[in-house]
Amino acid sequence: MDCKTLITYLSDYIDRELDESLAAEARDHLATCPNCSIVLDSTQKMILMSKLTGQVAIPKARRERLWSEIEAAFNERNAAD
Amino acid sequence: MEQELIAALRQRDPAAFADVFATYSDKIYRLAVSLLHDEQAADGVVQDTFLALIEHIHTFEERASLATWLYRVAYNHAQTRLRHQRPQVDLDEWADDNIALPEKMIDWSTLPELLLTGEEAKAQIMTAISTLSPSLRAVFILRDVEELSTEATAEALGIQPGAVKVRLHRARLALRETLAGYFEEIRGEEWTAKH
Ligand SMILES: [Zn+2]
Repeated sequence: MDCKTLITYLSDYIDRELDESLAAEARDHLATCPNCSIVLDSTQKMILMSKLTGQVAIPKARRERLWSEIEAAFNERNAAD
Repeated sequence: MEQELIAALRQRDPAAFADVFATYSDKIYRLAVSLLHDEQAADGVVQDTFLALIEHIHTFEERASLATWLYRVAYNHAQTRLRHQRPQVDLDEWADDNIALPEKMIDWSTLPELLLTGEEAKAQIMTAISTLSPSLRAVFILRDVEELSTEATAEALGIQPGAVKVRLHRARLALRETLAGYFEEIRGEEWTAKH
């Protein structure tokens, strides 16, 4: 496997969706290619960091206001039936 | 578990409805705010989505996935608002299927944890995600932040699983490249690609 092919399959490799023969070729390439290893490691790190950074929540005050509006709509609809 | 929840929702059980809000409001908000970059508009998407749930509860099939349904409604509402915000943006522009090969080969994954998880790094990630096109961003958020499967993401966004995979791959490589540029500056040294 060459670098270009490895990069093409990188996401499938990360998600463990390559069939075993391709995965083995990818592992062989990674074992001998520092550049592709760096791309793999840094991509995985980026995913992990995004997971952590992405966990934002609706701030409490806005969340309470949203819920009171949505709950009112729910109750109103229930009362109408 | 989900079937019981849906059954309770169909009975218009207030506790079940409150449960759904507690479980999904932040998830819906994250997708919406990442697409719209506007907290107020993202709150609006959360509201639109739950109002739609109130309207459609009785048509809900017990076999359906509540999460996928909610994401799909939220995505559609976010798209509508996005078109309104920026009418010239085509959400589905992604005809270019040439994937740019990585250029920046600095090994920043071994930087000290503090540099990688600090406020500055977080801000860099948020900025990098915001530079993706909306269609790549939606896929990246659902797959890599919310950890939905390829199939669930495809269903939520109304696209084919193959398109989810292509977009996720492009999003990851683009984000990796953007962050590599940032960490390269931090480390102040360069690795040269030899291929
Ligand atoms: Zn290589």
